[in-house]
Amino acid sequence: MITRQFGSEVRWMLRRPRTLIGLFGLVLVPIIISFGIWTASDEGEGGGGPPGLGAILQGNGMVVPIFTLFLSLNLLLPLVASIWAADGLAGEAQHGTLRGLLVAPVSRVRLLFVKLFGLTAMSLFAVTLMAVVGIISGTAFLGNDGMMTLSGTTLSTAEGLVRIGLFILLVTFQMVAIGAVALAVSSATEHPLVVQAATMTTIIVFQVLGQFTSLDWLHPFLITTGFPGLIDVMRDPIPWEQIGDSTLLAGCYLLIGTGLAAIRLVTKDS
Amino acid sequence: MTTSTSAPVTAPSKTAVAARTKGLRKEYGSTVAVDRVDLELPEGAVLGMLGPNGSGKTTTIRMLLGLVRPTQGEIELLGRPLPEGAEQALPHVGALVEGPGFHPFLSGRENLVRCAAFEPLLPRKEIKQAVEDAIERVGLAQAAHRRYRGYSLGMKQRLGLAAALLVPRKLVVLDEPTNGLDPAGTREIRKIIGDLHAAGSTVLVSSHLLSEVEATCTHVAVLHRGTVVAQGELTELLQAGGSALQVITPDVETALSALRQAKISARPLGDGLRVELAGTSAPQVIETLVQGGARVFEATRWKTGLEELFARLTEAEEAERGMSAVDTLDGGRR
Repeated sequence: MITRQFGSEVRWMLRRPRTLIGLFGLVLVPIIISFGIWTASDEGEGGGGPPGLGAILQGNGMVVPIFTLFLSLNLLLPLVASIWAADGLAGEAQHGTLRGLLVAPVSRVRLLFVKLFGLTAMSLFAVTLMAVVGIISGTAFLGNDGMMTLSGTTLSTAEGLVRIGLFILLVTFQMVAIGAVALAVSSATEHPLVVQAATMTTIIVFQVLGQFTSLDWLHPFLITTGFPGLIDVMRDPIPWEQIGDSTLLAGCYLLIGTGLAAIRLVTKDS
Repeated sequence: MTTSTSAPVTAPSKTAVAARTKGLRKEYGSTVAVDRVDLELPEGAVLGMLGPNGSGKTTTIRMLLGLVRPTQGEIELLGRPLPEGAEQALPHVGALVEGPGFHPFLSGRENLVRCAAFEPLLPRKEIKQAVEDAIERVGLAQAAHRRYRGYSLGMKQRLGLAAALLVPRKLVVLDEPTNGLDPAGTREIRKIIGDLHAAGSTVLVSSHLLSEVEATCTHVAVLHRGTVVAQGELTELLQAGGSALQVITPDVETALSALRQAKISARPLGDGLRVELAGTSAPQVIETLVQGGARVFEATRWKTGLEELFARLTEAEEAERGMSAVDTLDGGRR
């Protein structure tokens, strides 16, 4: 029964026009990045992108997917997660379909897990899609001579793919954590836009707060503080400490978000 | 049986009950939406829930379906207490509440498939057939492939009905099912309700259309200002409302004096009299008339329409409230 509900949820999300448009937009990111670097290196002006990461991208297509996801995690992927979370509960409430599900009946806790599953599956799908397109377009524009790490060593293509796979999982987890908090907001309103606005405002405010050194004490609690540390998958050997901290932090957000959503949903009048 | 606002009329029933509420109360902030609702829905009945807009019909229905938690009171649905027993009871309940709710970007058929995926009683292999049957039953076959976005109000209503009928149900709850339907559509809904009744399902229909209720229901519950002011079998309620006898006679004067002597109140009306049956019975009245020398051509029980009953029940309280307001005003002057 639960697999059938999971299946229905993912099918429903994939049928949404906005999901398809969103996925199309996400896929453009690695293509544009590959193309940008390719034209920049053609002109021989030292390439675009921030120094360090941008410099090693030349002639190294395997780095494009990592670079793409790393950039997108700051704004694009949280936006997509918040849209899915918003449609999941607030959107259903707005259309009156939440009532239908509850009367079917689906227990409220189970409904939350169905929504969380849909969010996770779609996040994993979107991130993987971006990575795969990144690998293809990166290889096409920049070539592939293995993956050069930030530590200066070069990994074989197979090892590079493992690193990309790991990065996909890490980024997906961050996205799901943000989505879970968005679901908590989503359970408390009937307006999907409120959910998106609240989530994106929070992400942006967190990033601004992260710039102030006077707020050092606050930084360990901001989910956005954990984003840059994830790039450690590009070092050789991988230093796990920052990756562990970021993932743990995201785990806390996931638990708190899910907990709040469950409490709100169980007592909710609909 | 008398109907009064202070003591709701309840037809005593010893038959099994599909749903029951006791002392139901729901507050939204400082507003009391529903108060002291004792509702009884006998198994196999078609109960019409009547009431003006804002009388608490929908709130009561939402509590009955476990969508809303009552502030106070108990609910029993198909023998299970709510909200604890919701997962056992609700699979057997089909509902159309507060208008149909579907996804605009999916077709009618796809929307039903999504609903069906969450129906516990529907095995995976039977989903397709169940959806087609439901579409056929509500007469949506022509429009099932079109997006819900483009549906007319009547088509949306039909789709909502189809979702409620995906699985054979013990209880079907329809909140204003004929909203936005043309006369043909209304007739079809009546027929569907009739079919459900014939198949042994219990049906709860809420409506503010009296004729609709009168045509389809076996039982009636009247809500007013968040509380039940009358409930029972439709025929009993109507009889209780019309405790008068219409007598056709050419000898109006003779008849009136005969009745006056027997201390039975009556007044001339049309071709005869209207005789109040308070404290007397129809045979007694006719006996008095015949013995008094009045020729009785015809005597019929005064049949109240539901409309009259409804108006009396809901307006009586209105008048009462108006009076008490005046009383307090007078008291203030003194």
